Amino acid sequence: MFSLESKVARVLKKHPYKISFRIRDNIVFLEGEVESHSKWVEIGLSVGRIKGVEGVVNKIRWKSSGKEAEKEEWRRRVFEEKRNTVVGEYDVVIIGGGVVGAAVARELSKYELKVALLEKSTDIAAGTTKANNGMIHAGVEPPRWTLKRRLNVKGNAMYVKLAEELGFRFNRVGSLWLITPRTLAPYRRLLPGQLYSLVLKHVLPLMVKIKGLINGVRGIRIVRGRRIFELEPFATRDAVAAVFIPSTGVVDPYEVAVALAENAEANGVEIHLRTEVVGFIKENDSVKGVVTNKGVFLCRFVVNSAGLYADEVAALAGAEEYTIHPRKGVLLVFHRDTGVFTRHCLAEIILPQDPYTKGGGINPTVHGNVLWGPTAVEVPDKDDASVSREEIEFVLSKYSAIIPGFPKDRLIRFFAGVRAATFTEDFVIRPAKWVRNLLHVAGIQSPGLAASPAIAEYALEKLMEMGLRLKPKTGFNPRRRPVLAAASMSLEELDEKTRMNPAWGRIVCTCEFVSEAEVLEAVRRGAKTLDAVKRRTRAGMGECQGSFCTLEIALIISKETGVPLNELLKEEGRLFNGPVRGEHV
Amino acid sequence: MIDVAVVGGGPSGLAAAVRLAEKGFDVAIIEVMGELGGMLEQCIHDGFGTKFFGETLSGPEFAERFVKKAYSLGIQVFLNTYVKEVKAGGGLKEIVAVSSSGVQRLETRVIVYAIGCRERNGFEIRLGGTRPAGVYTAGMVQRLINLYGVLPGRRILIMGGGDVGMIVARHLHLEGVESILIVFPEAGFAGLPRNVQQCVLDFGIPFRPRTVVKKIIGKERVEGVVLTRVDEKWNPIEGTEEFYACDTVILALGLVPYTCELKLGVRIDPATRGPEVNEFFETSVEGVFAVGNLVQVFDYVDDAVETACIAARGVEKYLNGELKTSPVRLVPSGKVRMIVPQRVEWVDEEDVVAFLRPAVEKSNARIEVRNSEGRVLGGFFRRYVRPSTLERIEVSRSLFSGQREVTVDIADS
Repeated sequence: MFSLESKVARVLKKHPYKISFRIRDNIVFLEGEVESHSKWVEIGLSVGRIKGVEGVVNKIRWKSSGKEAEKEEWRRRVFEEKRNTVVGEYDVVIIGGGVVGAAVARELSKYELKVALLEKSTDIAAGTTKANNGMIHAGVEPPRWTLKRRLNVKGNAMYVKLAEELGFRFNRVGSLWLITPRTLAPYRRLLPGQLYSLVLKHVLPLMVKIKGLINGVRGIRIVRGRRIFELEPFATRDAVAAVFIPSTGVVDPYEVAVALAENAEANGVEIHLRTEVVGFIKENDSVKGVVTNKGVFLCRFVVNSAGLYADEVAALAGAEEYTIHPRKGVLLVFHRDTGVFTRHCLAEIILPQDPYTKGGGINPTVHGNVLWGPTAVEVPDKDDASVSREEIEFVLSKYSAIIPGFPKDRLIRFFAGVRAATFTEDFVIRPAKWVRNLLHVAGIQSPGLAASPAIAEYALEKLMEMGLRLKPKTGFNPRRRPVLAAASMSLEELDEKTRMNPAWGRIVCTCEFVSEAEVLEAVRRGAKTLDAVKRRTRAGMGECQGSFCTLEIALIISKETGVPLNELLKEEGRLFNGPVRGEHV
Repeated sequence: MIDVAVVGGGPSGLAAAVRLAEKGFDVAIIEVMGELGGMLEQCIHDGFGTKFFGETLSGPEFAERFVKKAYSLGIQVFLNTYVKEVKAGGGLKEIVAVSSSGVQRLETRVIVYAIGCRERNGFEIRLGGTRPAGVYTAGMVQRLINLYGVLPGRRILIMGGGDVGMIVARHLHLEGVESILIVFPEAGFAGLPRNVQQCVLDFGIPFRPRTVVKKIIGKERVEGVVLTRVDEKWNPIEGTEEFYACDTVILALGLVPYTCELKLGVRIDPATRGPEVNEFFETSVEGVFAVGNLVQVFDYVDDAVETACIAARGVEKYLNGELKTSPVRLVPSGKVRMIVPQRVEWVDEEDVVAFLRPAVEKSNARIEVRNSEGRVLGGFFRRYVRPSTLERIEVSRSLFSGQREVTVDIADS
């Protein structure tokens, strides 16, 4: 048996840099200097892969890493300003309002507890949650011994009930993984003659099926020949076999997060938006208060579900056990009328996997749009959601083969999200090693959305182990007040609604058929920005991408919230930045 | 039941409705916004009506003439009303409309679509970078300033050297913003020469031809753009990238017919991106007409209105049950980017009015109509043609007799 020290030393020796390390409770701290961000990632990952390493804190410096000093200074200043202003006292404070934080909040709201959810942005789901493909993975892919694997399969199964209780759209569309002559192209030389076709048609699909079975995914079927095209009429005719995984689903990720948060709030959880953590007040090994720009949230337990910023939050609490290395994914959105081309989450198995498109494919959405992507690119900046023309071309060329007849000119939007990956590449859901009352719920990358209901349950188990006592709340209401949409009503229903409330008949977004009533309802439920309204109602998500309705919607929000038009936010920044006519420029 | 339902209360819809009401038909206008006039309401600059009225008017003034007429003729007007569904079959059409008074059904013999165009957005040109606050289409900015008195920002970059870009630039200059720069990939402005003079040169507004925005920079709000020079084929020239600081990017990237609202499956021409029409602006569905910027984007509102007037005659013919013959297709050649109408099929006496957009810039040009063997059937001399100026020709109907397809081309004179 080698000690962890010697294993890490051996791995680091392979890199031509002077990297020093120390290990504390199986967490590896790296220090040194390299010339680029990609080396920083590479070394972090190689250490993260070592068996027995539970976290990598990568403090290796690389050229042009900077800017942290500014942020630190701001945190210090706000900390001093606010450390004596108490907002309230809580049993649990959840940091981060993505789908994970919202799911934990909703789970905690089932019990007699005082809970606060803190979110630095102007809306729930404004980080990683808002920018992914909405896929509820079945759980075939995660490696066997990971926490991801367990929570993915379990989380997927929980979605039916959750969707029914919270009234969000969940379509179990299933996924279809195509096997074509391209699938094993690099290995073709090793498989002469009929052997290649035999492997493609029989061996590989069986291997995938077995992998799924081991992971606990049920219902997987292997289809060949005409059956493939009965399932997916527009799929490439190159497909010789396909693996059909029926339990894969799709959701609207922000709809899920917003639904969870709304239900949590209805059951007593306080949600604090625009509330950013700047530090912690500690006593011995415990957090006593979470200090934010709004003041101090005194607490007994802290859940760190801060996504991309979980490492920074952990460090502020003295629980630095991992570093997040942001991984960007670019997605292309196609018009709703392309929905007929894809019934399932479609992918073509290409081995070995291209590290830049891991897990990508063509996915239907619950609204009828089709998404292509995502890519997977390591980026230095956690906020880097930029999309370049080259990236768009890359995705277009990468997936064209899956559906050759797809109308690619119906591309109406593109976006990028950033995954919060750790170097150990598994979920980190465990009590902090050096802080008594802090629970890490970090490193939640794909299949985090699928796993989130199970993550929340698992987090509660951990909190109980840490000493949190749970007493069921008698008045807990698992249901959310339904959200209505003109687009999904029959004409009779819409007529009836309009007669009761004329705002239902005023269509403000013609591309997506969204009425004024829906916009008003979104505002009343907590949306304060243009993008928050857009995510809840789809106003601005259609063909014209808001060129007709943006102003109209902004006026409604402005009127309803009392915020003047030129102070209204898009997301974080002002929608219109100029003066009102008559004022000085 | 009514005779004609006009969908869209902008200038073209108004003109069609007025003409038809004057002929004695029972007409209704269905408009999704809260007032008639369409895009003209936000176009407070002048230059409208030079062809149609022989005088120069502002947008709202131009619209007002038709609006008054419409009301005085007793045309039914449904405001804040959105056409949700349309059913056509057996000659009669049913419109299902949604408004604040509920869902209404309207039976009509003819539908005239006049729903105009929409602005192209940054996604369509694959504008890279981030997607922060501070990126707007030019029309949105016009509306914001003219109707609500709010400026979009202080340091402005305008993408696009067409008419809309130039007009918005002048407007923001007069409103007193800190800085403006217009960039466009062409060698010169793509808009009308009179706008280049009156909107840009007269005010000394800076512009850079052969320049595009490579990416937008900024997280919450636009902080600037990366500009890059391009060659004649619009390919970026390496090493010319340059950061330009601004807080606002205005997209004046041109207009596209807003066809996603047509519910009848009418045939779309990929060149115009609007519905295919015959010489009376009837679409591929009988008794359903399309006029104005929905058919193709016009340079002058006057021309758009003319299509409405022509369509009104077509509607009359349709309602009178007049005859059609086998259609003659009009096909643009390499030097013509697109042509409207796409077919000629009615039995009629009068000349056919056609609009075409040249693909080339050329002096002493001849627009030629040729038969399928390439024989020239007719020609029209033009001192100068350019892609930025739509050409209008009147073709004698006799030219089409016996043909199945004619080609329209531009030759040296």
